[in-house]
Amino acid sequence: MSGPGVGWYLLVSAALFGTGALGVMLRRSPLIVLLSLEIMLNAANLALIAFARQLGDADGQVFALAVMAVAASEVAIGLGLIVAMARRDLPLDVDRASALRG
Amino acid sequence: MLATTLIVLPLAGALLVALFPLPRLATAGLAFLVALLEVGVWIVAVTRFDFDEGTLQLGTTREWVESLGISYAVGFYGFSLWLAGAAVVVGAAAAGYALFVGRERPRAYHALLLFLTGAVVATFAAQDLILFYAAFEAMLIPLYVLVGVWGGPRRTAATLTFVVYTMAGSLLMLAAVVAFGVTQGTFSLLEAGTSGNAWIFLGFAVAFAVKAPLFPFHGWLPLAYREAPVEVAAVLSAVVSKAAVYGFLRIALPVFPEPVEDLTPLLLALAAAGLVYGSVLAFRAPDLRGIVAYSSMAQMGLITLGVFAFNDLGLDGAVLQSVAHALVSASMFLLVGMVERRCVTGELALLGGMARGRPALATLLLVAGMVALAVPGSATFAGEFLIMAGAYGEGWGYAALVALGIVLAAMYVLRLISAVLHESRGAAVREEALDLRPGELALLLPLVACLLGLSAWPALVSQSSFPGDEPARALEEGLR
Amino acid sequence: MVAGAWFCLLAPLAGSLAIALAGQRISGRQAGWISTLTTFAAFAGATVSFLDLWAAEPERREELSTAYTWLAAGDLRVGLEILVDPLSAAMMLIVSGVGGLIVWYSMGYMAGDDEERRYFAYMSLFVFAMLLLVEAGNVLLLLVGWGLVGLASYLLIGFWHHRPQAVAAAKKAFVMNAAGDATFALAVVLLVWETGALDYPSVFADVGGLSDTVVTLVALGLLGGALAKSAQVPLHTWLPDAMEGPTPVSALIHAATMVTAGVYLLVRAHPVYEAAADVQHLAAVLGAVTLLLAGLVALVQWDIKRVIAYSTMSQIGYMFLAAGIGAYGVAIFHLMTHAFFKALLFLAAGVVIHRLAGEQDIRRMGGLRAELPRTHLAFLVGTAALAGLPPLAGFWSKDAILASALELGGGLGAALLAAGLLGTLLTGAYAFRLYFAVFHGERRELAPEPHGPEAAHVPEHGEGPLSMLVPVGVLTVLAAVGGLLSVPGLWHPFTHWVGEVAEPLVEASARQEYGTSAAAVALALLGLALARAAFLRGRELVALPAAWTLLERKLYFDELYDALFYRPAAALSALLRREVEEPVIERSLDGIGSGTVQVGGEVARVQSGLVRSYALTIAAAVLVLVVVFVAVR
Repeated sequence: MSGPGVGWYLLVSAALFGTGALGVMLRRSPLIVLLSLEIMLNAANLALIAFARQLGDADGQVFALAVMAVAASEVAIGLGLIVAMARRDLPLDVDRASALRG
Repeated sequence: MLATTLIVLPLAGALLVALFPLPRLATAGLAFLVALLEVGVWIVAVTRFDFDEGTLQLGTTREWVESLGISYAVGFYGFSLWLAGAAVVVGAAAAGYALFVGRERPRAYHALLLFLTGAVVATFAAQDLILFYAAFEAMLIPLYVLVGVWGGPRRTAATLTFVVYTMAGSLLMLAAVVAFGVTQGTFSLLEAGTSGNAWIFLGFAVAFAVKAPLFPFHGWLPLAYREAPVEVAAVLSAVVSKAAVYGFLRIALPVFPEPVEDLTPLLLALAAAGLVYGSVLAFRAPDLRGIVAYSSMAQMGLITLGVFAFNDLGLDGAVLQSVAHALVSASMFLLVGMVERRCVTGELALLGGMARGRPALATLLLVAGMVALAVPGSATFAGEFLIMAGAYGEGWGYAALVALGIVLAAMYVLRLISAVLHESRGAAVREEALDLRPGELALLLPLVACLLGLSAWPALVSQSSFPGDEPARALEEGLR
Repeated sequence: MVAGAWFCLLAPLAGSLAIALAGQRISGRQAGWISTLTTFAAFAGATVSFLDLWAAEPERREELSTAYTWLAAGDLRVGLEILVDPLSAAMMLIVSGVGGLIVWYSMGYMAGDDEERRYFAYMSLFVFAMLLLVEAGNVLLLLVGWGLVGLASYLLIGFWHHRPQAVAAAKKAFVMNAAGDATFALAVVLLVWETGALDYPSVFADVGGLSDTVVTLVALGLLGGALAKSAQVPLHTWLPDAMEGPTPVSALIHAATMVTAGVYLLVRAHPVYEAAADVQHLAAVLGAVTLLLAGLVALVQWDIKRVIAYSTMSQIGYMFLAAGIGAYGVAIFHLMTHAFFKALLFLAAGVVIHRLAGEQDIRRMGGLRAELPRTHLAFLVGTAALAGLPPLAGFWSKDAILASALELGGGLGAALLAAGLLGTLLTGAYAFRLYFAVFHGERRELAPEPHGPEAAHVPEHGEGPLSMLVPVGVLTVLAAVGGLLSVPGLWHPFTHWVGEVAEPLVEASARQEYGTSAAAVALALLGLALARAAFLRGRELVALPAAWTLLERKLYFDELYDALFYRPAAALSALLRREVEEPVIERSLDGIGSGTVQVGGEVARVQSGLVRSYALTIAAAVLVLVVVFVAVR
């Protein structure tokens, strides 16, 4: 096996995950939050694929494919929600969409 | 086999009654017939039962959920056969009374009553903890509905309290059942060994204490007994409360010998407290049902005292008293219902003078009342005497408290009798209020006859309740 | 001999059941016949049993017969068993004989009452219970009879249940007796643990092996039952009120038989009491106290039946005194003669009440001698017998008691003798006060309309039907000659007969008997003279107003018990309801409910609705978990 070891991949994956997590926590625009979520999912995908390569079996890759499918459907719903909010002239700010407060 | 028949017959009857859209009277009649048939089956069971042997009989054991160690194991010991007998007799009386009164929505009502009988019998027959738990809970479901739908004006509150209390008890018991089964690897009482875990024991004990009820777990009692339809109250106080006695006898004492020994002082204290507390409150209760309800609580305290005295006298006495109290409490509740039907109220201040011109009512209330206050020579006297003797083994103070209970019982029962029957006519008693009708007599006379028969020969029950007629040893050996 | 005894026991039960089951199908009169005949049948059975016993060898005059095991638990076996021995045979004869006469009398007395059938069913039930009490072969069965006579007494005191006083009196009697039953039951429990058996022979054989404490406790427990049943101080307050029942009931239950059960118990259980001599002496002292106290209170009563009731208490006090010093045969002898003359007094009083349409106040009586000559004679015989004038029944039996006290000697014997002698003075005074007030002086006007508890009875002219007169006549003869069964220095068949069961501890010599007799008769005559003098001057025997009030209020025992027991119990009940049941038990659920809502409100604040803060929380939690996992590894 050639190329960088699995550690490097994980490092990149962690960096990506951290970026995404920070995005989710810090940004208020739902669009950006959604993008950040995608970044986190892809960070996980990268880790999965890296491990799959490391271990030499296809399970991780299969799982990554499944995550992509989930991510796609999640984006579809999320974007739909954002569009619906925009159409009703609701503020595009996650902090102000707090109707579920207890 | 007969145990299974006794369980399945009323359940099948309930299904039949619920499914077939018969006319009102036919529905009630069918249910009553099933209940009578159940009594017949029980009589057959008694004739087949070998009392000299006294070990588990008439039973069935089948694997149910093998991987979890759950089995369908039923059968009777002497004491549980007697308890089941009280249950089917009282169940039949209740069905008969509902037929006589003509309850609304008879299909649902009678199906629930039959289901209740089946569940009670299953509780008394269960030899597997999961089965026991299921039957114990199945008993409650019809009660919730019967009180909540057919009850008096405050039925919702009554049901809610009842549900909360019994649920709390049941959940603790469920936890205890699971913990016990997991540690033992089986849920079958026939295979499991003993356990020294006090927490598991407490889970069971609290559930039984709520069901009995023992002081201070009786918060559901006044409302439930006041608001329930009178025959449901009869079943509740006469029979359902005895599930606690069965639980103590079949589960607590044989399976948890060490926790029982450690906690006996506490349990005895609670039982004695319930005895005195119930008696004192019954003494000043303002209405008929209040007196009967609190006296029932006092009696359960007394019976529990006998159980945890854990000697031959106390245990035999507890079984005898359970059966006698079931019969007397059912008679009293039915009589209360009959008075309430005539006067619309059970307030003592509004009643009185009913003896004049109503000899049947007066005679039956007197007889039932005298048995209720344990007049010497009655079955309840025999039971109380044995319990008193048993309690003496745990300390003379307990025996003295039982004696005090006898005096208090005389006070509150005489108060009830006089308030209904004697002196001048009460404001709620109409001149033309009828004596007992033949239908009512046909229900009460057999109950009272059972009581008098048992009074003539209490040894019938007390002598044949445990293997080898050595209760304490049988329980110490785990009823094997 | 047991066949007769079983028949004696079961005949009245059969009579009671027959009347109860026949219900409306028989008339009141038929019910009366059933009851009377079954009671006399019981007497026949008792006679047969007695004759068999008489014919048997003295050492074989005891037979225990068990029908079946009534109660069993563990090793304990209690049979439905009867014991036939001289004592129980004597009691059987007294109970069924006097009982039969009184039930017969009731047929005339109760004729026309709405609920005659119920009355006779109760009467037969009582006779059965009383026979069970005296025939019982073990202590528990004795307790059963003990409780059942209490039940019958309750039913019959409250027979006219539309009267609040009758109902209250019935309840009072039952509850006080329940207290006695409870101590009795505790004593039986002790015997179960200490001797393991309950039949008399085994129990009494084991008494010697018991510790002093146990024997004392057993004796005290039994004594509690005896005091309540026999209306002795301090459990005596129910008996005067019990006069609310029909007069024949007072005669049978509250004079002749049931109230003397305590004496029977003391004699029957004499081995226990001999082992606990202090308790035995306590019984004697309480008897002495009762006989004085009741004699004093009887001086100020206006109700004809209450005077006789207090005299009953007083006479039972004598019996307790005798049994308490070990003069068992004498105690039972007085029990028998008392049954004769006291039943006679009540029945004669019943004739008077009957004649006066329910009037019971002696202030409205007087001069009945001319109107009721035969009743007057009977009443006079009864009064003289009660006062202990020779040669009537009470003379022989009461003086034997006094002589036994003299024979006992010591401080206790002297005190008891003094009390007994003072009692004879009181007896003479109150008995003749009553007699003069009712039968002498001027005839008062009848009350304008019938009233009082027995007003239901239509006044009849003359002295009532034959069914009332014959029993009164028979009892008059018995009260006159019944005492001749034991004449000091000549023969003592009765006391010897009972002595076979209970060997007396003291036996007075003939000289002692005649000495005390002279003193007692002199005192009784003095009482008679005082009563006569007071009557002729139209004054009362108790002149001091304060003493009068004290006695009229019965020394405030009722008020005391009310304050000591009833009120605290009622207050405790109210307190528990107010302070525990309602706030703690009934509200506990409300508390659980509102508590849950409140906690929920607090917890809900965490739910801010801010998605980003949720994310932050999740991230922080994950971080913590990672750290934990790493650290733990």
